[in-house]
Amino acid sequence: MKLPYYPGCTLKDRTSQLENTALASAEKLGVQLKEIPNWTCCGAVYPVSETRIMNLVAPIRILKEVGEGGDDRVVTICDFCYNVLKRANRAIRDDDVKRARMNLFLSDDDRRWAAGGKKVGEGEAYDGKVKVLHYLEMLRDEVGFKKMAAAVKRPLEELRVAPYYGCNLLRPAEEMNFDDPENPRIMEDFIEHLGGRVVSFPYRIECCGSFLGLSSPPAARRLSQTILTSARKNGADAVVLSCPMCFYNLETKQKELAKEYAGFQPIPVFFFTQLLALALGQDTDALGFEEHFVDPLPLLRERNLT
Amino acid sequence: MRTVLSADKVKGDFLKKVEELSGQSIWACYQCGCCSAGCPVAEEMDLLPNQIIRYVQLGFEDELMNAKTIWLCASCFQCYARCPRGIDISKIMDALRQMALGSGPDRYGPDEIPASELAGAPQQALVTVVRKLGN
Repeated sequence: MKLPYYPGCTLKDRTSQLENTALASAEKLGVQLKEIPNWTCCGAVYPVSETRIMNLVAPIRILKEVGEGGDDRVVTICDFCYNVLKRANRAIRDDDVKRARMNLFLSDDDRRWAAGGKKVGEGEAYDGKVKVLHYLEMLRDEVGFKKMAAAVKRPLEELRVAPYYGCNLLRPAEEMNFDDPENPRIMEDFIEHLGGRVVSFPYRIECCGSFLGLSSPPAARRLSQTILTSARKNGADAVVLSCPMCFYNLETKQKELAKEYAGFQPIPVFFFTQLLALALGQDTDALGFEEHFVDPLPLLRERNLT
Repeated sequence: MRTVLSADKVKGDFLKKVEELSGQSIWACYQCGCCSAGCPVAEEMDLLPNQIIRYVQLGFEDELMNAKTIWLCASCFQCYARCPRGIDISKIMDALRQMALGSGPDRYGPDEIPASELAGAPQQALVTVVRKLGN
């Protein structure tokens, strides 16, 4: 199965371990993720107010190009990209005024790009037909969790994992339509199909602080500390998540949490694709753990998972 | 700060501006407080999310433009998920930020990002923070 893939900026640099393990695992599951050509930043946040329709241009241009390549689906991994692409697509599909204005912007686009000898589209109107899939949805709906489980070579037995969802995957619920916003299951099912043990904890859908990690660091640290301590207290060996922003607040910043909060115990944080790659038998050297502040290797060795 | 309630403020066009920018109905709010109960950053806020809406209803523009809260909302949509009236409060926060920024300087622009973070923060965080807190 071949599926078009939109990486987004962060996966190409700061969290390349997320992309590398995702692509390698997809390959093992019979899915070729083909990076779409000419992609740009999605904008990272869904436009801040109703008047800023210009901010929809980038995500819609990406989706339009996927559609013109003959595909009706696109896979993305970063929660922010997923949120922006999916919501922008929905706005264009359901709002006649926004759709008309957007297509006016984009038709101009076609002329300009064509003039540069780089013809992008035929000037067709984009109607929101491309379906935006998160990699987790791809695993569940395209590959199938059962088929994924059958490919597991190194079951994550005895690994107690706390799934953390954060905000952008789930909310706003009626726009994301991803999972139950208050009681999601997809990550739990994912972990169980890899043979791991799920640890539930009350903060799995609470925000990690997002960009406050830069603009109001103490607030973000308080949130991250609460989330990680709760996961630990409920018996987790590690936290698993899918968003590079959450990884920044919950993993990279543990160095600062240890200084600020007495008694804080660091806890390994995985991207879900790292656990997938691990379970599918990938060598632990190729999982990108050198980018982590808390090295997960001692834990994996202790559980005979290396 | 002294807060003055007046008919002029209540009947002014501030509320309409917020409604237009946010696309949300301000008078739909009946002040149940579910948004504030669920807000993860409420602890750091000077005005709780439901108070923000109440202030908009009463036309307290100056108080809102000077509130810390509007810069602390991380747009996690938990308030929206819990609101029994279907109000997307994060959009109201965004509208207030947009008004407070006007054409003036960024609240948090590229220059504010410390060098240590430039080396470590994910690109997505750098883009998000300047788009949320800047022009």
